[in-house]
Amino acid sequence: MANHLAVGLGEIKVSRDLSDVLVAFGLGSCVGVGMYDPGTHVAGLLHAVLPINNDASEEFQAKYADTGIRLLLDMVLKAGAVRSRIVVKMAGGANMLTAPGFTNSFDIGSRNITSARNTLKELGFRLASEEVGGQTGRTVRLYVPDGRMTIRMMGGQEREF
Amino acid sequence: MAELTPEMNQTLLENLRNIAKEGFRNAARGFADMIGNELSVWNPDVRAIPITEIPEMLGGPENDAVAIYLRMTGEVSGQIVLVIPYDKALEMCDLVLEQPYGTTQNLGTLERSALAEVGNLAGTFFMNAMAEITGITARPSPPAVMVDMVGSILDVVVSTMGDVGSQVMLFQSTFMAGERHTQADFWVIPDTFTVEKLGQHVKGKHG
Repeated sequence: MANHLAVGLGEIKVSRDLSDVLVAFGLGSCVGVGMYDPGTHVAGLLHAVLPINNDASEEFQAKYADTGIRLLLDMVLKAGAVRSRIVVKMAGGANMLTAPGFTNSFDIGSRNITSARNTLKELGFRLASEEVGGQTGRTVRLYVPDGRMTIRMMGGQEREF
Repeated sequence: MAELTPEMNQTLLENLRNIAKEGFRNAARGFADMIGNELSVWNPDVRAIPITEIPEMLGGPENDAVAIYLRMTGEVSGQIVLVIPYDKALEMCDLVLEQPYGTTQNLGTLERSALAEVGNLAGTFFMNAMAEITGITARPSPPAVMVDMVGSILDVVVSTMGDVGSQVMLFQSTFMAGERHTQADFWVIPDTFTVEKLGQHVKGKHG
């Protein structure tokens, strides 16, 4: 039976235990970035809240897409992943508040997506797949045995992306 | 970043409870007028809790919920969110629209508008109470209705706080409408830098 490891707000979880599934529940404007090495089955999932870490404090690195992705990479490499084999996928970054007056100032989802894409590009990674934007939250799962990533939206079925 | 120390929390919490109690009572009064029904306020409280614990308080991050969201701006700023489990939100629509329970099956434009009005009322009455007690005034934004997973709704709250403080101040209460057991959590989350200001004002008046 699969063991679900919840990845909370501003957290990173890394595992190479084949019975584990990494899950970020209900990502709204947050982004979930998954890294997976199919050779060693090392999997890591980041649940980033905000786009850019301005004060670069050690403590909250995983809360920001830019520093969080770098930390995630460090952690999966330390766990034994081989950089050249790492597959990266991303989901989330919805624009939750769509009422008049909120849209522009609160579009943190889009900014998270942009920041994550830029950071991955700087690190030389290409996104294998992404499920981003829109106005609906998503639960994101990363299956350690095969690196499969899935999303599920409110009232919907789980599906791979 | 205005970090909330334990000592600061202690004093602040005591002071903020006055606002919470009066604010919730006021909000309930406004809401009761709207639905023409008595409404009771249960367990009004203020707590400082780690952000990461919020989803569990609503039965888990993947639970479906409805949130009516307002920003308050002015001398103090923050977020006001009325969070209702999805099935309870359907019941609340029936209550507000004076229909028998079970009539509302999904949330269309009319239902969302009714819920927005509920949040609007609750938020406004809360701010009025705050102004009466502290002399601090704030204005509400128009309400936004979100129907989504609890975790996603909380993303908005957390990301709007901006500085990602390790704790949030949470004003929480449950409203019960007679035997119909309509229930909602009402959260007021002052921006971190305004929490201290709120506390000082209350202290000045009562202490």
